[in-house]
Amino acid sequence: MAIDPVRRELIKNALITIADNMIMQVVRTSRSTVVKNSLDFSASICDAQGNTVAQGLALPGHLGATMPALAACLRLYEGRLRPGDILANNDPYSGASHLNDIFMFAPVFSGGRVIAYLSLVIHHTDMGGRVPGGNATDSTEIYQEGLRLPPLLFHEAGVPNETAFRILEANVRMPERMLGDIRAQIAALTAGVAAFEMLLAEQGASVIETYMADLIAYAEALTRASIAALPDGTATFVDYNDDDGTGGDPVRLKVRLTIRGDEIEADFTGTSPQTSGATNPNFWFTASLTYAALRTIMPMDLPTNAGFYRPIRLIVPEGSFLNPRFPAPVGARGQSGYRLRSLVLGALAQLVPGRIPACTGGSEFSIVIAGRDPADEPFLMLEYHNVTGHGGGPATDGQDAGPFCLGNLANVPVEVQEAENPVLIEEYAFIPDSAGPGEFRGSLGIARQYRLLDGEALLQVRSDRQKFPPYGLFGGDAGGPGRTFLAPAGGQLEPIPAKVIRQISAGEVYRVEMPGSGGYGPAVRRDPARVAEDVRQGKLSIAHAARHYGVCCDAGGKVDAEATRRLRAAMAETTEEA
Amino acid sequence: MSGFRVSVDIGGTFTDIVIVAPDGTIHTRKVLSTPEDYSRAIEEGLIRLLEETGVAPGKIGQFAHGTTVATNAIIERKGARVALVTTKGFRDVLELGRFRSPRLYDLSFRKPEPLVERRLRFELRERISASGAVLTSLDHAELGVLAAKLKAEAVEAVAICFLNSYVNDVHEIAVRDYLAAAMPEVDITASVDLLPQIGEYERTSTTVVNAYLIPTIRRYIEALNGRLSSMGIRSPLAIMQSGGNLLSGRLAAGQPVRIIESGPAAGVVGAAEISRRLQGDSLLLLDIGGTTAKAAIIQGGLPGQTSETEVGGGAVLGHRLTQGAGYVVQVPTIDLAEVGAGGGSIARVNAAGGIEVGPSSAGAMPGPACYNQGGTKATVTDANLLLGYLSPDTLVGGDLALSPDLAEAAIGELARKLNMSLTDTAYGIHLIANATMMRALVGISSERGLDPAAFTLFAIGGNGSIHGPKLAEDLGIRRIVVPPAAGVFSALGMLLAKTEHQLVAGFYRPLAGATTQALNNETASLLGRVTELLVEEGYTDPARRALRLEVEAKYSGQTATLSIPVAGTAWDECVRARLKADFDAAHRDLYNYASEFEPLQLVALKVSGRGLGDEPGTTPLRRSRERTVSGTRSAYFGAEMGWREARLFGAVDLREGPVAGPAIMEEYDTTIIVRPGVIASRDALDNVILEREEA
Repeated sequence: MAIDPVRRELIKNALITIADNMIMQVVRTSRSTVVKNSLDFSASICDAQGNTVAQGLALPGHLGATMPALAACLRLYEGRLRPGDILANNDPYSGASHLNDIFMFAPVFSGGRVIAYLSLVIHHTDMGGRVPGGNATDSTEIYQEGLRLPPLLFHEAGVPNETAFRILEANVRMPERMLGDIRAQIAALTAGVAAFEMLLAEQGASVIETYMADLIAYAEALTRASIAALPDGTATFVDYNDDDGTGGDPVRLKVRLTIRGDEIEADFTGTSPQTSGATNPNFWFTASLTYAALRTIMPMDLPTNAGFYRPIRLIVPEGSFLNPRFPAPVGARGQSGYRLRSLVLGALAQLVPGRIPACTGGSEFSIVIAGRDPADEPFLMLEYHNVTGHGGGPATDGQDAGPFCLGNLANVPVEVQEAENPVLIEEYAFIPDSAGPGEFRGSLGIARQYRLLDGEALLQVRSDRQKFPPYGLFGGDAGGPGRTFLAPAGGQLEPIPAKVIRQISAGEVYRVEMPGSGGYGPAVRRDPARVAEDVRQGKLSIAHAARHYGVCCDAGGKVDAEATRRLRAAMAETTEEA
Repeated sequence: MSGFRVSVDIGGTFTDIVIVAPDGTIHTRKVLSTPEDYSRAIEEGLIRLLEETGVAPGKIGQFAHGTTVATNAIIERKGARVALVTTKGFRDVLELGRFRSPRLYDLSFRKPEPLVERRLRFELRERISASGAVLTSLDHAELGVLAAKLKAEAVEAVAICFLNSYVNDVHEIAVRDYLAAAMPEVDITASVDLLPQIGEYERTSTTVVNAYLIPTIRRYIEALNGRLSSMGIRSPLAIMQSGGNLLSGRLAAGQPVRIIESGPAAGVVGAAEISRRLQGDSLLLLDIGGTTAKAAIIQGGLPGQTSETEVGGGAVLGHRLTQGAGYVVQVPTIDLAEVGAGGGSIARVNAAGGIEVGPSSAGAMPGPACYNQGGTKATVTDANLLLGYLSPDTLVGGDLALSPDLAEAAIGELARKLNMSLTDTAYGIHLIANATMMRALVGISSERGLDPAAFTLFAIGGNGSIHGPKLAEDLGIRRIVVPPAAGVFSALGMLLAKTEHQLVAGFYRPLAGATTQALNNETASLLGRVTELLVEEGYTDPARRALRLEVEAKYSGQTATLSIPVAGTAWDECVRARLKADFDAAHRDLYNYASEFEPLQLVALKVSGRGLGDEPGTTPLRRSRERTVSGTRSAYFGAEMGWREARLFGAVDLREGPVAGPAIMEEYDTTIIVRPGVIASRDALDNVILEREEA
């Protein structure tokens, strides 16, 4: 069958639409804040061999796990699936990601054969385990993190697997909500299958199969062509996690990135060994985020499917932090995922200069406050604030609160959290002076402050970047570090560690200050008028402007040109002496 | 609302004026917009059309208006100097936004800068809890200080949005009233007066956009009212809302956020009316003007609606998940996909030797090169003229003769850079514009799971029936409808819209915890306010007022709501029980399942009031000034078919029987390309129908 490029475009759009419509249905019907407000889910379409063909709106972190999670299911069930079956898998050691991400797959049949699998992964708020929300950083084995669902059939020929549902119900903290979301996930997949069947009826199964294979080949060809257009070279970059999640030493992440011809190799040799804490990403999460970071230098309209992965070679030593051995815990691996993205982008910045900004701001902050409300109903507030804004770039400042295209989680409205949990959010605001100084400055850090209103609750926090703040590039400085505080009812805020699990009681206040992003180029080269404008807007203090930029100005933004010249000259001398 | 009905639609390039006589005859006029003062083109154009038709201004019974003034003010950042007043600790909510990027993997994406700079975002000590309790009372001493600061900053408008005001509006109302008294010259918008809905960022953004627009829109409406009354037009001004109903000018001046998509909505409303008259044909609307192309879907006689949209973010192709590119506004809006390609779109050759068309437009001034107003850049209209699609004589009723020489000079320059023939260059520009327009059609249909080939294409706007026929062919669409006055159809559509007022009151409590009395009280207050508005517009007889009650509700854990109609306007136990059953049924219909045992959470009450007795849709519409056209013109239909002699014809000629393509119909405001293999005919409603000749 000859490939018609117009038809390819139409079929590609039809497949993406099926995936997007599943997502839209989940958004409208789900119960959990993490789904309906944070939008923590992904949908995609795979061919009969389990290769990703098309993606809907998605989180980069889910992408690389779709194929291995499906492959693990197919190893058990291939050849014995029936229409109406739905497979589920959340086991990080069977290709999935962390226990909260339940991957579900629905086969689509035509003439008795499987033509495709629809994939829908949703982050479920709680899977049981020792800490609500499953994000504890100090677990030491995966058994502590909650219920593992190895590849299994959740629906058999359209009939719910009652055993599986009852086991789930008995093992998670908010079963009504969780089962509501599971039903929403299944209903969306079922609707997706019906839409796919219509497409098959319109186009014919052999046409769809031909074009699915072609879409993968087309993505691979485009990927190879765009890699070939980059200069060959090798660059090494190193970044750190503050600790291993249990309060231990910093964890070193290292990549050696090589562009050679039409292929890229990412070699993580030199990374610390796996740790006893739960911030280890499993291999597939490492792969997902490496792919995502590399995807940023490809053409925007490139289909992100199995073909895109093929020219990329990963070397991740087994037993290292980025590829731990069973039964290492992985629940809080989301934190290291952000470090990985920044690590690979840091190496890319050297290989393709002029395109990659300094490090994104943020401390990969996630918080759980869970307990029982005044009516004795269980509540579980879960929030992710992974990023705070863009790093300074080759020609532009990092935008304050600029969304990061590789961590597309929305924040949760303050009003929604307060309506659903006995928690008052007292502040959500920029932190002045927290932007990484540079010719193009980084974005500001962000503060958020919570007060428990009633009773007792468990506070569990995952965050980082207190010892190793977001890096600057080419002479730009790092963003302000992360900080976390706790105050007893009516008392003063006192610093506490980035990662905690503790009981809090009514009136206690928890505050997080998330880092700003890194600057790009030396700060003393920044246009004094732009420094002064930030002072006028209350984003920088007068003292910070003088100390880091060598700019003397008043609160109204008026620059003293002569004083600035002298200050900058003095700063240049000090630098030379040092 | 008897007598002659007038409507005016202002677009980026043209201002379209329509008069519909009591017998349904349509008179139209198209004049160039006057961006320095849009109301000038209205007055000049209207005076001439009234003279031509011999209609006395005093006989005008309705004046409906659609305008892009609001959108332009945002895109060009020419709105008011706005201050935001908000809860202590939350002044950055507006700039923080929601952290979603509409473009995965694109490191260069930046969201738009906030409409209120940080130093003009002021915090007050106050706090309301999620249940509506006052945790921290307003400190009235702070209000005086605030007013002094606002005066010192010389702000023109103030937006007020406090946390949890959707549950308890007491602080917003107090601050609004205080500031209104302290600084009467400043326009003030409180979030609860727009849409009291959960979500502080979305509510703040909507409020700020409204405040940003008020001074501009109020001045505009005042200027227009002044011109109308000096012309002797006494009927009140009604403005088209984004959601497809008319709103009085007085109300629109206070809530301009409701009229952002005014013009585009009017075209869709008109198309929906025609679709009902066509016995419910499903229509894929394509509206191509000078600057943009828009697409919408009409099924079952109704257009799609959304409850939230973004403004100023460029083309609106995506849905909620790909948002983040513009300013969020939560007002009912007709669902449209829009791209930056129209007749005025500028063509250029990029560094790699490729042709690019749009999104920049030559606009009204200088306009395309062939307008002979000083423009030298090649546009889509210049290409269409060289390809023979447009007549050098007939565009805009002969007011504006087109110059093929100037078009040739502009396109010739591109042809030399590309080393291509003049014809190939012009046709290339035409096709690239088509490819962009295709994205709007696909964005609203196949990207939402609808097969475009199952629809009838409804082509409107000055360029809809020039580009539409080829686009229909590419999408497998077999039937095209071009309505009367297609070139000014948005203006006509406003006269097919209904006057409807909708008021919303936040009512955030579980159904089980809401007393029948509380429900009745809130409903009665809304009913009273809507009735007042209708009485003000002359619907004094209760029999001429239709009032409708709806409830926004959700299952307690959900965020997205469904709007459930309530029978009648009074509550009792039976109505309450029925609401839960109706919600379950609606949820099952939409999503294939219901949670009968899950409690229902009420979010808001909505009352809509419509004036009855003068629905516009009952009189058949007729073209005026139909003409006969003869002769032929060479037109180019691509490499395969080449240059063909196309028969020229007018609406009168079509009465005598169908016309086979290649042919070109030339009307006062519309040019229709009948491609080879296509037959044009005329239906009982005066629409022109294009269908492929059966092989």
